[in-house]
Amino acid sequence: MGKDLLQSAYTRSKIVLQKTSRGGKIRIGLLILALILPFLPFITDYILHIAILVLLYMILALGLNIVPGFNGLLDLGYVGFYGIGAYTSGLLTYHFGLSFWVIIPLAFINGAIWGILLGAPTLRLTGDYFAIVTFGFSELVVLFLTNEIWLTRGPLGLPGIDVVSIDLTLFGGPKWEFIGELPYYYLAIVMVLVTVFVMYRIQDSRLGRAWFAIRDDEVAAVSCGINLLVYKVIAFAISAAFGAVGGSFFARWVTFLSPDMFKFWESFLILCMIVLGGMGNIWGVMIGAVVLVSLSEVLREILPLLGMPVNVRFLAFGLIMVLMMRYRPAGMMPIAAVAAQMRAGRVKRKKVKPAVGMKK
Amino acid sequence: MTPILEIKKLFKSFGGLEALKDINFNIDRDEIIGLIGPNGAGKTTLFNCVAGIEKPTDGEIIFKNSDRSISIGGKKPETITALGIARTFQNIRLFDNLTVLDNVKIGRHCRTKSTFFGAVARNKFQRSEEKAITETAHQFLEFVGLKDRGEEIASSMPYGDQRRLEIARALATEPHLLMLDEPAAGMNPQESRDLMALIRRIRDKGITILLIEHDMKVVMGVCERVVVINHGEWLTEGEPQDVQKDPKVIEAYLGTGAADAA
Repeated sequence: MGKDLLQSAYTRSKIVLQKTSRGGKIRIGLLILALILPFLPFITDYILHIAILVLLYMILALGLNIVPGFNGLLDLGYVGFYGIGAYTSGLLTYHFGLSFWVIIPLAFINGAIWGILLGAPTLRLTGDYFAIVTFGFSELVVLFLTNEIWLTRGPLGLPGIDVVSIDLTLFGGPKWEFIGELPYYYLAIVMVLVTVFVMYRIQDSRLGRAWFAIRDDEVAAVSCGINLLVYKVIAFAISAAFGAVGGSFFARWVTFLSPDMFKFWESFLILCMIVLGGMGNIWGVMIGAVVLVSLSEVLREILPLLGMPVNVRFLAFGLIMVLMMRYRPAGMMPIAAVAAQMRAGRVKRKKVKPAVGMKK
Repeated sequence: MTPILEIKKLFKSFGGLEALKDINFNIDRDEIIGLIGPNGAGKTTLFNCVAGIEKPTDGEIIFKNSDRSISIGGKKPETITALGIARTFQNIRLFDNLTVLDNVKIGRHCRTKSTFFGAVARNKFQRSEEKAITETAHQFLEFVGLKDRGEEIASSMPYGDQRRLEIARALATEPHLLMLDEPAAGMNPQESRDLMALIRRIRDKGITILLIEHDMKVVMGVCERVVVINHGEWLTEGEPQDVQKDPKVIEAYLGTGAADAA
């Protein structure tokens, strides 16, 4: 009986596998690789830590991608929402001991509210002016976190945030605390999968199309009846919400927060991931996160050996950006249309959306 | 005939430049009306005022539809589209990075509702709406003669097809009045003839058409009435054949003395 069941499951999965496209097979393969990664022989806790960092930045980059990638607006203040999310989660845990599973939806709503608060008045601004406002906002968040010592303990940081736990004592079950990197790794994978799922669904919907319309041509978009401000604010709010969710995870994972974790550099790094990977392309953005986080860690090891300070790695990021802009302005995995134009060998420089400072 | 659009004492100035001065005319329901005039006469400015892209300095634009008359001067463009006025652009404005089908689907935006939660949850309402959007988009593509080309990237299509796509996108908003800004620009004679046939078919669906055009063959061939403006002022209006012979019009296009020579 059991053998029959196994047999039928095997044949069924074989049929499913035959039906999936090549792209689908690659995806399934990558997912399986990600799931068994911690059990591979050469994986140490350190590497697992980096892997979680990669996953966290995937969530952040996918969230940010909505604004520059889907809407063509430059956002330099994304880390502000990340910081708000992290500190809100940290403080709620610290003072009220709220469960992570309660905090995640709260963080999403909280991020969205802040996104609306910042976006509604400022998204009327065009191009560079909007970028400057967002930049100012992220600096404001850092200043607030540093100076409002009564709330955030300022530069001393916020230590001793509880780890994530699954508490089933209410139903007479056990309580299981997340200790070590392994549970966080799987939690992060689940969060990335949810994020990717949401992004794919949005991409192929009325909302996503409205965003793409705004990105490609604002005047034509309004002529199709799209209210620019409303849709930009929705984009900004959802983007901020994912930032805040990423922040909540970060707070409960490292269990320590300090204001200088949310400096402008983080925004820049996340933006680099998007530009490097291919703006507006979900896969590209994720690959951008893998490349830049790994590179950052490798450089952290190598640079001291060469007698250079660790922060020289930002120079390397800058160099990569310059080279990308020169040779592949649409990123490693450009959105379909640009890729098609490139294949046809008639890519017009004008047509490829310049990565930064897009709309004048 | 009841007018669908009344333009009354319309003024528009950009700083010191008066682009439109005291424009008055009506557009009747179900007619194909041409708006002509030399370069810089203010035709596109007039379009932009009606479409809500520019705010008129003074005057009224009244849109009459199903017993309601609404003053649309100064209203937002998305509101005007939702009321039932669609347009195309002089220099084609497509969503270049999207497929042909998606371009038309975006035209359905103002007639549909789902947002974030629908997109993520894909509930019953969203799915049926999405299905309807796709079906209607295909219908409009077929109507303009772009059947089975939905998967192409908009910017990779030939020029004439891009014009057609822009018209399909405008039609997808279900307009009562369609404004076409130089649709025949850059078209060869065959494409122009196809375009004229398309314009007539659109009118037969009960859509009024306002047309800016420089190609006189198209204007003469398809318009039932022509309004001429020059230097931002109303010059004359009437049947195409009469307007073409009008000395004032010839003078506006060719300069003083040309009328005598002709």
